[in-house]
Amino acid sequence: MLAGAALLAPVTQAAALTDEALRLTTDPAQNEYRRIHVEVQHRSGPDTRSYQIWFASQPFDRVADAELHSTLVIGDTEGLNRTAPAFDTQDCWTAGQPVHRTKDDIPVLAPDILEWSCSLSGVMPGVDQWIAVLPVDADGRGLSPLLPIRARTDVPDQRPPPPDTLPITLTLASIVLSAIVLLLYLRRRDILSGRAQTSRAYLYLAPALIGLTALTFYPVAYGVWLAFTDADQSQLGEENWIGLGNFATVLLSPGIVRVTLFTLVWTLVNVTAHVALGLLLAYTLTQPGIRGRTLYRTILLLPWAIPGYISVLAWNGMLQPDGLINAILGTATDFTATPLAARISVILVNIWLGIPFMMMVLSGALQAISTEMFEAAELDGISGWNQFAYLTLPNLKGTLVPVSLLGFIWTFNTFNTIYLMTRGNPYVGFGEPGATDTLVTYVFSVAFDYGRYGVAAAWSVAVFLLLLAFSYLYVKRSGVMEVAR
Amino acid sequence: MSGRAELIDWVVPAEVRTLRRWLPAAAVVLAIAAVLEGLRYDGPRQIGLLCGLLLLAGCRACLAGDRRTWKRRLGATFAGVGTVIAAHLLVVGEKSLYDLWTLAWLALPSVLALYWLISPRVAAWASGSDDAAFIAECLSSNRRLGPLLSRAGTQVLLIHACAPVVIPLVWIADVAVSPGNVLGGAIGDAFTLDHFAAVLSSAAFGTWIGNSLVVSVGTTIVGLLLAIPAGYAFSRYRFAGRRASMFLFVLVQMFPGIIILLPYFMIMKTLGLLNTSIGLIIVYSVTALPLCVWMLKGFFDSIPREVEEAAAIEGCTQLEIFRHIILPLSLPAVAVTALFSFLTAWNEFLLALVFNTSNDQYTLPVGLASMIPATGQQWGDFAAASILVSIPVVILFIAFQRALVQGLSAGAVKG
Repeated sequence: MLAGAALLAPVTQAAALTDEALRLTTDPAQNEYRRIHVEVQHRSGPDTRSYQIWFASQPFDRVADAELHSTLVIGDTEGLNRTAPAFDTQDCWTAGQPVHRTKDDIPVLAPDILEWSCSLSGVMPGVDQWIAVLPVDADGRGLSPLLPIRARTDVPDQRPPPPDTLPITLTLASIVLSAIVLLLYLRRRDILSGRAQTSRAYLYLAPALIGLTALTFYPVAYGVWLAFTDADQSQLGEENWIGLGNFATVLLSPGIVRVTLFTLVWTLVNVTAHVALGLLLAYTLTQPGIRGRTLYRTILLLPWAIPGYISVLAWNGMLQPDGLINAILGTATDFTATPLAARISVILVNIWLGIPFMMMVLSGALQAISTEMFEAAELDGISGWNQFAYLTLPNLKGTLVPVSLLGFIWTFNTFNTIYLMTRGNPYVGFGEPGATDTLVTYVFSVAFDYGRYGVAAAWSVAVFLLLLAFSYLYVKRSGVMEVAR
Repeated sequence: MSGRAELIDWVVPAEVRTLRRWLPAAAVVLAIAAVLEGLRYDGPRQIGLLCGLLLLAGCRACLAGDRRTWKRRLGATFAGVGTVIAAHLLVVGEKSLYDLWTLAWLALPSVLALYWLISPRVAAWASGSDDAAFIAECLSSNRRLGPLLSRAGTQVLLIHACAPVVIPLVWIADVAVSPGNVLGGAIGDAFTLDHFAAVLSSAAFGTWIGNSLVVSVGTTIVGLLLAIPAGYAFSRYRFAGRRASMFLFVLVQMFPGIIILLPYFMIMKTLGLLNTSIGLIIVYSVTALPLCVWMLKGFFDSIPREVEEAAAIEGCTQLEIFRHIILPLSLPAVAVTALFSFLTAWNEFLLALVFNTSNDQYTLPVGLASMIPATGQQWGDFAAASILVSIPVVILFIAFQRALVQGLSAGAVKG
């Protein structure tokens, strides 16, 4: 019977022991996904206290060349349960039943057990492994030579089933179809009203419009829907409608006031500095008779021309204890260690990044102002400052208002500067926004660090509404000023 | 009659005007410097700079309001004390470049103020003189001195504006050619091209450039294919729904990236387009689309309709007109729009960070950022890679700056 088993088993090696042979076999038929099944027949001697299972990816004859997979203790099984372990690196059986285990899930064999089997987890599929079982005495000495057997599991990796693409495909298709139908309807109306030559316009417009609807308006709608669901990292495509729960989470989240205030400070300080300094530089550069104007303009343009992420990473280096700023000052301060210093640092870096855009746009607008007005002012003896305040600024208003609104929206939505400088640190508390987090970077970390998609979507919607409110206020206020003037 | 008020303004010597303008600027610089001295724990110097600040502010106050000889004398005294403090700090204090720069902001204004306030012309002005001889003298000297001083002031301002740009560039270039993957070290103390060699021979850098090229070129092609017809339709046809669709294109620009980021991620995940170039190409071409359409519409608007009408009378079809007339005429504009979408895709960080999580799908921005993790930062390699990546982009940008700014601000201002 033993000989028959040896014939059936593909690889068998037996070791002569001090008292009796240990027979180790593997049965590929019982291998599972990333598990190898081994069977052991051995009458343990009086010195044997435990079995160690060793494995490696090459043949080995010393334990130093292998890794310990698991240990089975030989001892009294009185009072122990035959339970499946919570986390089973080895699933061991004797006589058709799970082995006894201690409270710490260590498998225990009674001394009189002659046959046992284990299913060893954590092996790569399709790769040869060498496995050996070593009886060990009380001092940890091996009682037999290591004679590893070759084994492998060929059960392939089970990939999770592909997510259901049908709903999204259907939605996208219906959006595309309704856009086409709308365009066809408009075209027909145009033809009926006698504007036949314009019918081609719809054809030209269709690709862009369909792309825009399908890939901008649909995602926004989807995002709003997500805000009312319990979507998170662990359940994708199975989210359930939970109503306003996420919005309650948002409103009750710790640090919401702090992060909102910092976002406002961040945006207002940045935009003010961008516009003020951009205007100062644009005004200076458009004065007549400056030596090296082209060179200055080109240098001042560089913060915009250099890819933004590179500038921010370079500033990250410059502000470190052994960076440029400390070298200049002769100090070793970590400018991103304390909340106040970190906040000032990220704001200053973002100011540096944003000036050139304002400078270029405003110098374009300055050049468009008629110079005759200034010549007349010069003749009347109006000083430089008064010229600026009473001629230049009012003439620039048409550019300043929309550009600063745009700057407001852009700065509010800035992500790279903070993420690449501090990642929102210094740390304040678990789940709370960091000291330099703005709403945008905090929403990012809620979504992609904590994996709470539904809550993050609710944050996005709240942030969007906030931004919309501010933009509306701004437009209204600047409109009011226009009427008053 | 307002003639007298204007006259008073006219006969202010250019020296006084210059001091009025620049003493506050010097005070601001000294205030910043004094705060920074707090970081350096240099108490005596901080006190010295603060005293200097107060003296310059006092000197500025003496130049405001009525003309009085005692005010001039007081101002000159303040400036004199400021000069003495500056000289003292120069002798006893540290003499790094930074220290010399802050000292210059104390010393130069003090010395100039002292010199000018004891000059006869300013003395005459301060005594309230407005006889014809003084006015004539003052006007002629202002005509000579005024432009000179204002030009010098402009140069000072521009040099200070350029310093925060130039100094970091020099420093990052120095990090790139310094041995060891660390920050620090004096500028120009050692030279090696190891970092450039390491970056150019690393497989990862090649992969990132390849990915970025595929994504950027793909975005440009797809974006233009969508934007050119749409821009042309907006420019040439008056059709029902034109205003509404144009507004739609503006509205999209106002959506914050964050509200769209998560849905994009979920959709791409469901469609299996994460960690592919296609996902990024789709998203980039659509996000850059509105601005491209607006830019192209503006350019098409500038081509006179008569050219087309003439061709139509000759019997050209619409497509022929577009291919043989409109496209060649607007080729420079199309090139600028192409450059714009290319640069947008080339520099984009956030979407690439979220979409492409596996190292072999990183684009350059994500790849370069991965060289600067919290620990084990490879500053030398990063600096070398940054320089290699930036130079072509910067050259393209500078070369096309005017057109880019025009296109961008056209979209922005109309939006």
